[in-house]
Amino acid sequence: MIRSLLAWLDNRTGCNDLIHEALYEKVPGGARWRYVWGSTLVFTFVLQMITGIFLWTAYSPSAQTAWESVYYIQEVMFLGKIVRGMHHFAAQAMVVLLAIHLIQVIIDGAYKAPREINFWLGLILMKIILGLSLTGYLLPWDQKGYYATQVSTKIMGATPVVGAQLQEVVQGGAQYNHHTLTRFFAMHAGILPGLLIGFLALHLYVFRRHGLTVHQPKKKPDTTFWPDQVLKDGVACLGVLAVVLLFAIFKGAELSPPADAAKAYAAARPEWYFLFLFRFLKFESVEHLGLAFGAIYVPGALMGILFMMPLTAKLKIGHRFNIAFTWLVTLGIVVLTTMAFYEDANNEDHQAAIAEAERDAHRIKELASRPSMIPVEGAVSLLREDPFTQGPVLFAKYCASCHRYDGHNGRGIVLKQMDKEAKQQSIATPEATDLKNFGSRDWMKAIIVDYGNHFAPLKDAQWYPGADDAEFNLDDSEMADASAGYAEAFKAPENAGDLNALVEALVAMRNWKGDEGTVDVALAERGKQILDGEPLIDGTEISSCIDCHDTIGSDFEVTGEGYGYPDLAEYGSAKWLKAFISDPGSDQFYGAKNHMPAYADKMNAKDLDLLVRWMTGDYHETHVEDYPSRITEVFGAGAKPTAPSADE
Amino acid sequence: MSENENATPDADETPPVEASCSTDCFSENDPSIGTPRRNFVAEMMAAGVGALVGIVPATIGGLFFLDPLLRNGGKGEGDGFIETDLVLDALPADGTPVRYTVRDDLINAWNMFPDQPIGAAWLRRIQDQVLAFSTVCPHLGCDVEHRAGEGDFYCPCHTSAFDLDGKPLNAIPPRAMDTLEATVKDGRIWLKYETFRGATSEKVPV
Repeated sequence: MIRSLLAWLDNRTGCNDLIHEALYEKVPGGARWRYVWGSTLVFTFVLQMITGIFLWTAYSPSAQTAWESVYYIQEVMFLGKIVRGMHHFAAQAMVVLLAIHLIQVIIDGAYKAPREINFWLGLILMKIILGLSLTGYLLPWDQKGYYATQVSTKIMGATPVVGAQLQEVVQGGAQYNHHTLTRFFAMHAGILPGLLIGFLALHLYVFRRHGLTVHQPKKKPDTTFWPDQVLKDGVACLGVLAVVLLFAIFKGAELSPPADAAKAYAAARPEWYFLFLFRFLKFESVEHLGLAFGAIYVPGALMGILFMMPLTAKLKIGHRFNIAFTWLVTLGIVVLTTMAFYEDANNEDHQAAIAEAERDAHRIKELASRPSMIPVEGAVSLLREDPFTQGPVLFAKYCASCHRYDGHNGRGIVLKQMDKEAKQQSIATPEATDLKNFGSRDWMKAIIVDYGNHFAPLKDAQWYPGADDAEFNLDDSEMADASAGYAEAFKAPENAGDLNALVEALVAMRNWKGDEGTVDVALAERGKQILDGEPLIDGTEISSCIDCHDTIGSDFEVTGEGYGYPDLAEYGSAKWLKAFISDPGSDQFYGAKNHMPAYADKMNAKDLDLLVRWMTGDYHETHVEDYPSRITEVFGAGAKPTAPSADE
Repeated sequence: MSENENATPDADETPPVEASCSTDCFSENDPSIGTPRRNFVAEMMAAGVGALVGIVPATIGGLFFLDPLLRNGGKGEGDGFIETDLVLDALPADGTPVRYTVRDDLINAWNMFPDQPIGAAWLRRIQDQVLAFSTVCPHLGCDVEHRAGEGDFYCPCHTSAFDLDGKPLNAIPPRAMDTLEATVKDGRIWLKYETFRGATSEKVPV
């Protein structure tokens, strides 16, 4: 029954011939593992077709939906992480297999006559595959792909004569826009795969015409493609599939933060197999000769030599030259790639940029998974309006020239300064308080009983007048005296609880998000009594904070009036902090004693709001790890022998 | 070495159609191979491995494509009732239908649009209860309107007509107007908005 059906089919299509042709290709000298590379490439391409088409069913190419749809594929859809991961890692496997295949073809002399045409077809296929990886890199529209592809299109722009026009046509406009994505997508999912299929068919056809290039000596009797070589090819493909799957499952394709043309991405790097070119272009001497030289002429010349190989092989030492050339270029690529990795691993700024990108990448997932999901203007707006993301950036920009945050500049970087005499970099000395703990209970405690130490970094400020000026002196000012008195009064063991009570009362008044439920109401009540002048447990009478800071307990209002004792109504609240940063020299705060710049005119209202909300913890809850503390490095630099007082 | 292989082996050796052998006998007919020893184990393994490398990615991709069935995407919690901005007293006491645009948060893959119009309902007050009808005609899905003069519901597309209790007044609609579940809590109307399959005599939620 099946036989007659097959006969019927064969009678009308000749499929038996076709199958025979496909499966009973002669393999002289027996099946070998070294013949599997071409098959693994075909398999990887099929893998890309399968995963690519399925990804296509969920991908949406536009500046406001590309990252969003990839996020949705990766984080929400069933098995999406695996499908995208397979596509991502199979693309890299393809480049590796391509390199192996090419090197082997050259070493085995399989490019020589009469196989010249097939060699050239193979080179065209290589170009198409590189084009596929280049176009695919942009499609997620994340920071990494966006800025790496910017480099590629700029290189295109450096093409002689038609560069500018070429770049604009490829981008679909003078800048990146929706059409950059639609064009890249059409190339990636339509034109290039179509070309690849066409050239692959030719490549295979011509390959079959000439047969395998047999590796001498033949060790076994001749056989056929089926089943011996198919089995070896299949096992090799299975190996490729396993590696790709393992990477997809355990590593997963990266999705960096959504592309933001307004936020430079210092961590931008091309995909690792283009790193050699990236590193090559960074040589000063290469840079000096212009982008077109390094990025177009040199690779063009190398490709030219590669292209000419079947012809040079006819020369006496041609084949040896070609092999030497291949190994030399391979060596160069390996060396340059290693250099790029090594230098990046040892580049603090690059590592900090990567850390920030990872922080943003984790954060955006938290924000996008809220019930409000992603706004139509795109996921990038989630980060732009997030205090946890923008606070550190604003801190680094506006505050970190004097202050530190947990020892770093807010973005995890320890600030350095050039030591002119020693001619080397040293850690820059902070000239104002570390604000990591601003407004916390520890912070308040430190001000009350350890005032001098808490503000000690001020002593390194250029303007700090020295010991003779009592008004400024952290060891001898009015507040310093009061603090010394408090330290003495609270030292008695029975009074320890009263210090906590006093702080709790101040905390209860400041209205932080997150304070609700954590304030110890009874303790705060006791603290209020102390503020109102009641003696401590052991009967010690202390001067109340209210004696000088007489607005404690009332609502904070911006009045601009005061006596140079900072207004501590709702101390540490967003309201208070905003007013303080806007004009710390107002009589309501430090008055004439102030040295901090007023930021009312330096920051716009939105930035100030984001900064203050970050400092007061008013943002969507996060589980993203913050930058590691660098406080020991800063204080270990010899700036301050005392430990940060906030811990006391 | 290339001279030998250029003589492609199988050009004229195609077996005749009548032989109609399955793939295994090709090698027997192929003179270019010395001893056609079939290696059954190798063939099975080759076929198995070949199938495996194809099936695995295709299966993973296929399951990914079936995402709408396999993932409980946005098919929410709760009983589906939406709190409207209407109080019971806003409806005429005599039972005259009031058209009400139902609004809800609309989830569109990765976007959420808060408070969007998602459909409409005809609401009638019957003493302390609310009678709610979908405005979608059970016939072919046009918008049913209320004719105050005739005192009926009427669909302009195919002239379906219903009385104010939703019963068909002619043979065009396959069933009565689709009622929606509605309740009154603390004077405010809550509505469960659903859509139903058209042109069936049974009311089947979509």
